[in-house]
Amino acid sequence: MSMYKIAVVGDKDTVLAFKSLGVDIFPVLSDREASFTITRLAKENYAVIFITEQIAKEIPEKIDQFRSQMLPAITLIPGNQGTFGIGIGEVKKSVEKAIGVDIIFGKEGEE
Amino acid sequence: MTNGVVVKVSGPLVVATGLPEAKMFDVVKVGEQGLIGEVIEVHGERLSIQVYEETSGLGPGDPVISTGLPLSVELGPGLLEGIFDGIQRPLDVIESTMGSYITRGIDVPALNRKKKWEFKPIAKKGQKVSGGDFLGSVQETVIVEHKIMVPPHISGEVVEIYEGEFTVTDVIAKIKTDSGDIVDVTMMQKWPVRMIRPYKEKLPPEEPMATGQRVIDTFFPVAKGGSACIPGPFGSGKTVVQHQLAKWADAEIVVYIGCGERGNEMTDVLLEFPELLDPKTGEPLMKRTVLIANTSNMPVAAREASIYTGVTIAEYFRDMGYSVALMADSTSRWAEALREMSGRLEEMPGDEGYPAYLSRRIAEFYERAGRVVTIGSDNREGALTAVGAVSPPGGDLSEPVTQATLRVVKVFWALDASLAYARHFPAINWLTSYSLYSDTVEDYMNQNISGNWKELRAEAMRLLQEEASLQEIVRLVGIDALSIKDRLILEVARSIREDFLHQNAFHEVDTYTSLNKQYRMLKLILMFYEESKKAIDSGVVFSEIENLPVRERIGRVKYADEKDMKIFDEIESELKQQLKALMEGGKAE
Repeated sequence: MSMYKIAVVGDKDTVLAFKSLGVDIFPVLSDREASFTITRLAKENYAVIFITEQIAKEIPEKIDQFRSQMLPAITLIPGNQGTFGIGIGEVKKSVEKAIGVDIIFGKEGEE
Repeated sequence: MTNGVVVKVSGPLVVATGLPEAKMFDVVKVGEQGLIGEVIEVHGERLSIQVYEETSGLGPGDPVISTGLPLSVELGPGLLEGIFDGIQRPLDVIESTMGSYITRGIDVPALNRKKKWEFKPIAKKGQKVSGGDFLGSVQETVIVEHKIMVPPHISGEVVEIYEGEFTVTDVIAKIKTDSGDIVDVTMMQKWPVRMIRPYKEKLPPEEPMATGQRVIDTFFPVAKGGSACIPGPFGSGKTVVQHQLAKWADAEIVVYIGCGERGNEMTDVLLEFPELLDPKTGEPLMKRTVLIANTSNMPVAAREASIYTGVTIAEYFRDMGYSVALMADSTSRWAEALREMSGRLEEMPGDEGYPAYLSRRIAEFYERAGRVVTIGSDNREGALTAVGAVSPPGGDLSEPVTQATLRVVKVFWALDASLAYARHFPAINWLTSYSLYSDTVEDYMNQNISGNWKELRAEAMRLLQEEASLQEIVRLVGIDALSIKDRLILEVARSIREDFLHQNAFHEVDTYTSLNKQYRMLKLILMFYEESKKAIDSGVVFSEIENLPVRERIGRVKYADEKDMKIFDEIESELKQQLKALMEGGKAE
């Protein structure tokens, strides 16, 4: 069995930096292209896909599609223009779902 | 013939004495008015008589006269386009002479005695004939040629046969039997309603009876010569389904028995049928229809007889080699009539007060259906398809009439109150209904409509069943828990339900769908499924497929004209194009 792989999807400027880490990078120009790329990667043994928030917020349906599946894990990262906070929100949600309370941010009951 | 005397009256049941020669099922005339009744129990001197008319004013001491004959129907030209009551009295004639309600004790012959029919002989002088052979024919209506047959139990040599215009009681042929007697044959024959008309051989039903109703023809077909039942709670559309079958069923003759249901429903039939045109011949549907009406305000005992009257008439047309469809709406009212008579006879009641012989009576009725080789030397085939509505109180299918019916019929169209409430018509539940003819009918469809009919039907059924189990999940954890493929299944199943199964009986085009169009419609929907699956695999998101513009056209295709089959090719190519555009969009932009 081959090893699982890691991919980064996003605009060219952002993903280029990841090249130095040795992960596969997939620069995309449009949301459509991003959506198709993710679908393809999911089939190609990529276990973790990082995607910039800028792109992710345009294709929420595609991101949701993989939420209930074990693989690939899709993680949102800030792009080169800063963060929208949705990535960290997702992490918060996942933590809450996994253990029932928010232990990282400690703002229980505020939402 | 001696006169009997009434000793007891209990609703439609009259007990009489003083008729020693009367036998079971003899017809008697009761009272001064001569109310028609039938002997249904003989207990020493005492005869129990069920009277087919209202018995008020009758009392002990009134006379009873036996006719010595069993309850019979008159069979001959003049049946078609007619409307009769449960004991075959012509209602149109009664209305024109007596007014809207049947006068008690009225005696009107079933077939018009004065009307002359043009008789064309088929048999030749000197020819040997046996029961069921054609003597000649009468063009009864534009579409139906009424064959005049030798009565079942007569055989011999034709010594004389005439040509020309005759009434139903005029002698049209003379037959010299083997014993040397000369028998006069008229166009009309009489047959006791409780006796099955003879046939040579019963054949397994194979060919489907197309009804133009998509859910029936595609998923739960009834074969010609088969039997089917439509149980359903009030307001779920039993009568509309029956009417649709009577209108569009692929049968040459339709016998419709309105048995204990609302009078207005018969009025609908009477008003609609002369205006509706048969898709095959283009002539009014009434020209192939016989109506038997015993509505809820007519005497209860005649209801018991109406089923037998109807099925005997249907058998007579079957003997001519026609394919006959018989609708009975509703057999529950008939069973209730049996229950009432049984109660008054003080018989030991069975389940829910129904007589112990209920299931035998129901089986007897449905067993008269069938595809048969009729009597007569040319071995022609005729088919009688029986479809009965059942009205279980409260929609509870475990009650005796439904259970007894399900035991004999091979097709079960379960009408569902929740579907009817959601305005899904015909409200035939696709998960609980079944047809035991689907295997044989599928083979016929594969040969005559398209080679992959069987697979398409199985695939569509699988999607519908999958939808039901997915919906359970959705109810528990919400739609978000489903994978995109599952959501596509839900969407396609919804399309099958709304665009295919749902059918508007009152829409000009949608009311009838030919088998060929049904096939194209189903193929189109399943093509949408297959192509969408491919698109999703290549990365198209679900909402884009959900909002595909071509789906609007798929939904509307049921309103497309039968002649305009090109539209399917158009939509199919449009569908492929739009999905292709979606798939390519991801790479090109």
